[in-house]
Amino acid sequence: MSVAKILEIALRTGRVTRRYPYEPPLLTPEFRGAVKIDPSKCWGCGACVKVCPPNALTLKPAGKEATLEYFVGRCVFCGMCAEVCPAKAIEVTKEFELSATSLEDLKSRVIHRLARCSICGAPIWTEAELRTVVKSSPIAEEYYLVCPKCRKERFAKAAMLRLGAGSE
Amino acid sequence: MLEVSSVNIAKALRAIKKSVWVYHLNSGSCNACDIEVLDALTPYFDVERFGIKLVGSPRHADVILFTGPVTRESLPKVVKTIKAMPRPRLILVLGSCGIGGGIWWDTYSTLGGFKKLEEILRENGVEVDRVVYVPGCPVRPEAIIYGMLLLLGLVEQKSKRVEVVASEG
Ligand code: SF4
Ligand code: SF4
Ligand code: SF4
Repeated sequence: MSVAKILEIALRTGRVTRRYPYEPPLLTPEFRGAVKIDPSKCWGCGACVKVCPPNALTLKPAGKEATLEYFVGRCVFCGMCAEVCPAKAIEVTKEFELSATSLEDLKSRVIHRLARCSICGAPIWTEAELRTVVKSSPIAEEYYLVCPKCRKERFAKAAMLRLGAGSE
Repeated sequence: MLEVSSVNIAKALRAIKKSVWVYHLNSGSCNACDIEVLDALTPYFDVERFGIKLVGSPRHADVILFTGPVTRESLPKVVKTIKAMPRPRLILVLGSCGIGGGIWWDTYSTLGGFKKLEEILRENGVEVDRVVYVPGCPVRPEAIIYGMLLLLGLVEQKSKRVEVVASEG
């Protein structure tokens, strides 16, 4: 190809190079970037943790608190957590400029207070989750503040009493 | 062990700022990140605007573009490649795989990301001077450019650790 021909094509086509970072990036409507958890909406139910394919989301209880951690460095940006969240607390943003010099900077945490079993004192669900459950279906406090283990024991005790009473 | 002080790194960064030679190292990625690296090198994104140029040997490289979760098969070669690089060793870790293992974070056949590799490198006496992690799956070409600018110290880091307590009422 002659130089004149190349010049002609170049002039006809014009500039194709993107000027990023000096112009906005090419973000399509379908693009999914980092997810964002709204701490005022999240219950700490753990549904997103169960569904996250690479375990980028983790919910770890420690003492009186449970920490929902989002490690964007392992996220595959599938958006499944946003789909499954019952509280609609997760939003898929278009953020992609996430580079960091340390792994700690790639983590974000939401800290939940844990409610305790009224019988054995073991940490059960998060307080936010209890509040939500009580709001949507009012149940007596003696049920919702009892951990599954104590509930089972209590039920077994009651059943034994019944059976014992019946045999006499 | 040869120590390169932070002063030297600043000096080296100043020296390479407008001419960065990169070497592309795939440690067993799914190839999507590698295609995005090629994408960033095409005239469409044209990283030669920043003087970034692909080279064919780690001995010529200033920066390694690192992709993949480090499979066991690739580990000895990866260590050898990074060892062949001259100091200061600057590494741009691309993709969820490179950073935290991605969806292969706990499989038997991978190391699960750069953190473990860094330990192995240290055991082998290979020091890495600066690492920038670029999340994405795959990483966008723009994200690679942004990560590179962060590595060179031309832009400010946006990500930072966030810790919030869920609402009380
Ligand atoms: S409320 Fe939503 S964000 Fe919070 S733990 Fe449950 S699924 Fe995850
Ligand atoms: S977008 Fe996918 S990978 Fe990322 S946190 Fe949500 S479920 Fe996990
Ligand atoms: S980060 Fe995602 S796109 Fe990149 S190599 Fe890993 S799986 Fe593939």
